Amino acid sequence: MKTGVYFCSCGTNITDKIDTERVKAGLESSGKIAYFKTCPFLCSEEGKQFLEQELKEERPDRIVIAACSPRDHEATFMRVMEQAGMNPYLMQLVNIREQIAWVTEDPEKATQKASVALKAALKRVELHEMLEKQELEVSPDVLIIGAGPAGLKAALTLAESGRRVALVEKTPVIGGLPVLYDALFPNMECGPCMMDPIIGEILYGEHSEKIELLTMAELDEVVGYFGNFVVKIRQRPRYINTSQCIGCGKCFEPCPASGANQFNCNMEEKKAIGFTFPGALPNAPYIDPAMCTRFTEGSDCTACRGACLMGEGVVVYDDEEKIIERQIGAIVVATGSSLYDCSCFDNLGYGRFPDVTTALEFERILASNGPTAGEIFMSNGDVPGSVVIIHCVGSLDEDHQPYCSGICCQYAFKFNHLLESKLPNAKIHHLYKEIVSPGKEEYALYRTARENPNAHFVRYSSIADMQILVDNEQQIIQLADGSKINADLVVLCPAVVPSADAEKLSAMLDVSQDRFGFFEELHGRMDTARSKIRGVYLAGACQAPTDIQRATSQAMAASGYILSELVTGRKIELDPLFASVYPEKCAGCKVCMKVCPYRAIGFDAGNNVAVVNAVLCHGCGTCVAACPVNAIKANHFTDEMILSEIEGVLK
Amino acid sequence: MSTSADFLLESSVSDFSAEYEPRIIGFLCNWCSYAGADRAGASQTTYPPNVSIIKIMCTGRIDPQFILKAFASGADGVIILACPPGDCHYKEGNLRAAQRHSLLARVLEQMGIERERCRFDYVSAGDGNKYAQVITDMVDTVRHLGPLSLSN
Repeated sequence: MKTGVYFCSCGTNITDKIDTERVKAGLESSGKIAYFKTCPFLCSEEGKQFLEQELKEERPDRIVIAACSPRDHEATFMRVMEQAGMNPYLMQLVNIREQIAWVTEDPEKATQKASVALKAALKRVELHEMLEKQELEVSPDVLIIGAGPAGLKAALTLAESGRRVALVEKTPVIGGLPVLYDALFPNMECGPCMMDPIIGEILYGEHSEKIELLTMAELDEVVGYFGNFVVKIRQRPRYINTSQCIGCGKCFEPCPASGANQFNCNMEEKKAIGFTFPGALPNAPYIDPAMCTRFTEGSDCTACRGACLMGEGVVVYDDEEKIIERQIGAIVVATGSSLYDCSCFDNLGYGRFPDVTTALEFERILASNGPTAGEIFMSNGDVPGSVVIIHCVGSLDEDHQPYCSGICCQYAFKFNHLLESKLPNAKIHHLYKEIVSPGKEEYALYRTARENPNAHFVRYSSIADMQILVDNEQQIIQLADGSKINADLVVLCPAVVPSADAEKLSAMLDVSQDRFGFFEELHGRMDTARSKIRGVYLAGACQAPTDIQRATSQAMAASGYILSELVTGRKIELDPLFASVYPEKCAGCKVCMKVCPYRAIGFDAGNNVAVVNAVLCHGCGTCVAACPVNAIKANHFTDEMILSEIEGVLK
Repeated sequence: MSTSADFLLESSVSDFSAEYEPRIIGFLCNWCSYAGADRAGASQTTYPPNVSIIKIMCTGRIDPQFILKAFASGADGVIILACPPGDCHYKEGNLRAAQRHSLLARVLEQMGIERERCRFDYVSAGDGNKYAQVITDMVDTVRHLGPLSLSN
């Protein structure tokens, strides 16, 4: 085996401390090397040309490079090796600059340490194997789960760059929460006005044909891995042919059945056939089988079909649940969040007192397409003279959710602003633990609230210390110090919490949840748009409580990752530093499967052996160390290589 | 007069000078502690040269046999430096390494290898000073313990 050594002096950075000639003489006399060559700057253009030329002429079997940290130039030298036609894994880089020359006071000791390190590297590199990057064909199509601001933005961005997207939405309507809001913080823009253009693009725009919108649908099954997922989507029947329906609403009037409308927080009734709310998109009604007498009583009512202007084929009573299978390369989770259940605070009376509402219910009360067409009334029909907004309900609370939900202050001050115009004489109380209002525009609503002579700010320390009571038909709040505030209407700002089906989806996708139940990001600051499972990306409030701005930015980040990592027509390259199981040694104990942080190890039950999926494996080697029978190999970090390096240092 | 070959031999023998020089193997993970060692280098913080670094991708890769092999081959000490809890590039390899280390330390003690000779610590990528300090401490500790004699 012909092994060459290239020694970079890095100007004088290395040779100031390490005596090249003595290192060279020591190695040459050991008989282990074919040659030892020096270069003043191996990473410079001249240095790289020198190395390439050298490798072409000398044709070594292995090389050891003594230079700076591999974190600096290992990749540079590996590229040169590839250019010279040599497998780049047949090299061992010895870090004699950062870890020897720069940190060792005595040149004699630095020289000795460098010699030992090189000796160990020579022993190790003998065992190096030619590793090749594997390539895999991929599907460039993308599945997006959730059609709120994040999901829509990701779908549109990907479609605009030519990708086909399956956009799956659980409800009959797209647009997420903002389409339910008449005004959005910080600029009081109307929610539907902001969302409709992007929804229009999704439904009818230039790139809409690339977006397959599946409403009333949920992910049912996922198999495969990055680049090659096969997903099954379960779509509930809508009973309306959306391609023919013109959304005129003539079918609603004759419908004899009705029930609570959950899209208006059950504050009003809707017909069994109808929209979730006026203006909902896609502009087609749906039949709720929990209300329609055909399903509840087995009746033969055809009132809606009879009223349809477009003929018999639009209302489809025998519509059925569909299982839709798609091959896709990446998944964006944009399923949003939920609100903390306020009925667990017995002292607040939510659910018992009709004039205690959540912020979401209050948004619908304020909305012109909501149950009261935007008018604010108490349950007795009177106009409230005092409104109390309780911030931080369940947030910043070790007994509930310890984190700040981040958005509540903003919408609470938005409510304040809207109340000023809708109820100019009403007293407003903000009960809060902390006021949080960062951002370049976010302070304005808070300042306006502070300047409002009708608004009062009261800080509280624990939600458990307050009590909502009805005293002489007057709803009041009693605070910790015994003081009482009239509260005709109470608006609770609940903590933002993971959505109820996050756990199910997490299990299906193998994407971990954090300690609060939100989908866990790859890195809290640098990589919030990627999950720890390759090919599964996160956008919006499913990852953390977030506002629209951050949700859409994250969606764009996820789209960017997909466009750069999953390129149409380009195979994905697999880093060869993955683990693999020797099936003949594997005892089938499954210990490796338990320790793998990426669930990259599956089990071949037929042969009773574990199998590593190289696409999912990140190459950490934890399974290799855990295997009781040494049946797993870590490429480039085999037991033999590490043991030989240890021996090389010590013997 | 020493020949070149003698020099190479000399360099791998612990007591080439009058003073005892411990020989220590340091297992550093690619992401945090190795970068921490580089950081110490970049800021030219000097520390004793007695620790030879073996890089692995993650401390979770460390098989107890590596440590046993090091002691059997003449190491006086072994130090494992992992990413601080919560910072592991591979989620939790550092914690797995910590668990394995505490188990192994007990076995080593039964074999007559003092607990202090096999140290586990965390060094972050940015903390060159901690790296230099941990290495200095380790070398002092092992120097104080003296050469490891497995026959005893």
